[in-house]
Amino acid sequence: MSQSAAQAAPEQSGTGTPPVVAARDLVKVYGRADSAVRALDGVSVEFARGAFTAIMGPSGSGKSTLMHCLAGLDTVTSGTVHLGRTEITGLRDKQLTLLRRDRIGFIFQSFNLLPMLTAEQNILLPGRIAKRRHDPARFRRIVEVVGLGDRLGHLPSALSGGQQQRVAVARALLGDPEVVYADEPTGNLDSRSGAEVLGFLRDSARELGQTVIMVTHDPVAASYADRVVFLRDGRLVDEVHGPTAETVLDRLVNLES
Amino acid sequence: MLRTTLAGLRLHKGRLVTTALAIALGVMFVTGTLVFSDTLRASFADQVMGSAEKMDVVVLPEDERRGTVPRDVLAEVRDLPEIDRAAGVTAGDAPLLDKDGRAVGSVPTLGVSVGDLSRYSAAEGELPDAPGEAALATVSASATGYKVGDTATVLGPDGGKHEFTVTGLIDFGTAADVSFRGAVAFTPQTAVEMTGAEGFAEIDAVAAEGVPRQQAVDAVAAVAGSGTEVLTGRELGERLADQAGAQADVLAAGLLLFALVSVLVAAIVIHNTFAILVAQRQREMALLRCVGAVRRQVFTSVVAEALVVGLAASALGVLAGIGLGAAGFALGADALNTGASGAAVVLQPGAVLIGLAAGTATTLFSALLPARRAMSVPPLAALRTSAVAAGLDRRPGLLRAAAASVLLPASAAVVFLSRDAGSPQAGLYLVAGAGMVAFVGVVVAGPLLVRAAVAAVSPLMRALGVSSALAADNARRSPRRAATATIALTVGATLITGYAVINSSMMSTMNDLLDEQFPADYQITGQFTDENPAIPRQVARDLRAAPETAQVVAQRSATDGTPGPDATWYSTLDGAPLEEAASAVRQERAGDLADVRPGSVAVQADYANAEGLGVGDPVTVKTPDGERGLEVAAVVEAAAVWSVLMAPEDFAAAFPGKGDEIISVVGAEGAEAAKLRDAVYAAVEDHPTLQVDSVAQMRKQFEDVLGTAFLAVVAMLGLAVVIAVFGIANTLALSVLERTRESALLRAMGLKRAQLRLMLVWEAVLLCLIGALVGIGLGVSFGWAAADAAFEDLIFSVPIAQIAGFVGAAVAAGLLASVLPSRRAARTSITAALASE
Repeated sequence: MSQSAAQAAPEQSGTGTPPVVAARDLVKVYGRADSAVRALDGVSVEFARGAFTAIMGPSGSGKSTLMHCLAGLDTVTSGTVHLGRTEITGLRDKQLTLLRRDRIGFIFQSFNLLPMLTAEQNILLPGRIAKRRHDPARFRRIVEVVGLGDRLGHLPSALSGGQQQRVAVARALLGDPEVVYADEPTGNLDSRSGAEVLGFLRDSARELGQTVIMVTHDPVAASYADRVVFLRDGRLVDEVHGPTAETVLDRLVNLES
Repeated sequence: MLRTTLAGLRLHKGRLVTTALAIALGVMFVTGTLVFSDTLRASFADQVMGSAEKMDVVVLPEDERRGTVPRDVLAEVRDLPEIDRAAGVTAGDAPLLDKDGRAVGSVPTLGVSVGDLSRYSAAEGELPDAPGEAALATVSASATGYKVGDTATVLGPDGGKHEFTVTGLIDFGTAADVSFRGAVAFTPQTAVEMTGAEGFAEIDAVAAEGVPRQQAVDAVAAVAGSGTEVLTGRELGERLADQAGAQADVLAAGLLLFALVSVLVAAIVIHNTFAILVAQRQREMALLRCVGAVRRQVFTSVVAEALVVGLAASALGVLAGIGLGAAGFALGADALNTGASGAAVVLQPGAVLIGLAAGTATTLFSALLPARRAMSVPPLAALRTSAVAAGLDRRPGLLRAAAASVLLPASAAVVFLSRDAGSPQAGLYLVAGAGMVAFVGVVVAGPLLVRAAVAAVSPLMRALGVSSALAADNARRSPRRAATATIALTVGATLITGYAVINSSMMSTMNDLLDEQFPADYQITGQFTDENPAIPRQVARDLRAAPETAQVVAQRSATDGTPGPDATWYSTLDGAPLEEAASAVRQERAGDLADVRPGSVAVQADYANAEGLGVGDPVTVKTPDGERGLEVAAVVEAAAVWSVLMAPEDFAAAFPGKGDEIISVVGAEGAEAAKLRDAVYAAVEDHPTLQVDSVAQMRKQFEDVLGTAFLAVVAMLGLAVVIAVFGIANTLALSVLERTRESALLRAMGLKRAQLRLMLVWEAVLLCLIGALVGIGLGVSFGWAAADAAFEDLIFSVPIAQIAGFVGAAVAAGLLASVLPSRRAARTSITAALASE
């Protein structure tokens, strides 16, 4: 694991295939004039197909903002984001909505599920919104992999936190999106459930070729990823390939100092 | 603690705006009604006091209906030293003819005298001054279209036509019979000639300079003699004001009833809002408990919040109510004949206080249960973080189902009982009671009903698309909330539908009665006077001779001489065989109408029962000349006043002097309507006081009256519906706030803004439809039960078109209710909602 330069070059993702998601010179400013906060200050980063990447950084480093901008949930002040060949930074709200619907999957920290829908209905919801037929074989396989077979008819309130997150993972994976964004997916889980969910994410990247981008502040969670990028004060400051919990923790400690 | 409450109110004021509006609207109705009726009463009083107080002394006959004050009393009163001036008022029948030469109204117009000394003055033009002049009451002028300067014809006591120049219009205001009879005013001498009245209806006098009123009254009373009543002008004014005030009171009572419905609906809306707010603020309450607030303080804080909201909204409602009352008076003054639409609005402290108290008390009362629930939030709830958004009720319990399954059949049983209640009143009370039981049943079963209704439409909504599918799921997630919101609408829908059913049943019953009792095209009757003169025989003869008529039946009646309602009525129908002419006969119990020939009669069933008569029995007819023996040929049931129906020949022999009372005319087949009309009017041309009613016109009048009443009732109940729609909008808005996070999640997953909005539109429409349909169901059932209890032989009719209209209105209401909540939901920023928890 080489010491990477502070201004890590994003082009070095290692494979020949074009990146699934690419951000260039992203700037996001909140507020105006004197009270302005630069949440993102010129971030350029690429994410390769089938890679499981973790975005880390201390609170207020801009990691959630980066994810929101990459996923088309938030607008950017300047810079560009590409999903595949589509530049999403220029899109209108309606086009962004369709883009999220058809090409992106989401897993949030909590309130991931609609309380009035059963686990199965929650998993199938994005497909319903998009009026997409789901592939029953893929549905069965994903449900089996995340181990929800006997809980499908339950309402979220009857599921444990870990089960709820597994439903969210299944939902995000079912549509075969180009990229899955996970925002602190294990933040509310105990370590065993968290490990399960992270295992699914890693497996889906390795076995299904699913691109996953995860925001987290937990070094153990980050260690499941293939690569970790570090943010501080809205800038990309470091990155690690093939991380372990210890290496991630080291880098974090370095960042804080 | 109060400071916390107020701070909380400021923070959540958006959530309480619609609730405040609901209260304000209810209070507005209450205060508006009170201000309106106070103003109306005051304006009535002003008017009668103004006219009566012009006089110091008024002499009235003791028997106000028939009696008069003898003419010579006037001269004696004038001679009294205590009296300066005095005038007698002559009053009697003076049939005014309209521009077509027919007498106006079914009762002859009142003829009165006015002179230099009169309680009334001209509202327009001048009082009559010469024998050929007359002034018309404003009501008569608007009924006939006569204006100042026109020439009007009035019939004299001998039936002769006299022409007068209209010099002015007089506003008689609330004077009891002028409002429906109308009036023509003449100079005193002409009034005597035109009415043929013997005495005076009233003597008005002004006391001499310096004589106290009471002294003048005593002096007049000494000469007026027995059979008269002597009052001061003020006393007369007060008496008239009381009568007019009673009118205003009846109106106010009716309006207040509707206001009460609005307040009730507002109470339901308030209750729901507070219940939702308390549920949403569980953690807030728990936090208060954690930092040391005792249960009572939490309870008090919710009650205090209700108090503040209730007071503020009630104050707003009182202000709006004053405006409403003033506007209502300005608009309604003409219709109500107050004649003083410009009068100042009367604002009594009662109107303000009752409005404030009603609104505040309703709010407080409605917030009590939610406040109790807030009290029972454990401090630990503050620490609980639920991963699932709030707002999921427990499944509605078995208890509800059990209670409802007792209440609803009980209500049905009471309705069933009401059918044999004996009297219409008892039946109506039973139906009202059953209605309340059913309403409680619906309230209890509400959550179950909502669940069932949503479950029923779910498959359809799922098939329609993702927005409607989500809406169906949302509507089911908190059935209790949804049920309370919809029940507010159910109240209005039940009452409106119930009234619509009663109205439509009355209309169809009326139509049927008209067909049954007047299977004729025209009916001719005399004007209603004390003597009730008969219709000259020549009229029927002329009608029969006209080629346009097919059947002309004349009815004559007489009594056995017993005074009052116990009299036995004898009638005959001349002009057609009895079995055809006696259209009022519904059923022949025994014998055959066709067998009624000279020497025999038909009798009504209840008379036959009372007298123990059967076919073949002898029956005695009492005539002024003695008794006559006849034989019963038929026992019938008929909707008519007569007890005994005789053959024309027998009747003529028994009561030789009796003329025709009612003539029914059936047009010949193929006769043109206009020609038939001309023939009928030609036959009565020489008898202007005869009333000609076309059955088509009567039908139209009935329909107009019922239609107007229906519109008025719907308008009054409309406010309750508006309040209920506010309630649904509010419930939805609060749900949207609660589901911000969910909305963001849906948007992140690619639900378009329009789809999110559509979801809420579906939800609102669904709630409104459930509320309206339950109301329509209840309304049809109890409208039928009430109408059936109140009217005999009711023909039940469901106004399908109107009900379809209500359903359409419910959909529109849902669309309206969803406007603000759905905008709010669609506008929420995804990232902000995801960041906040």
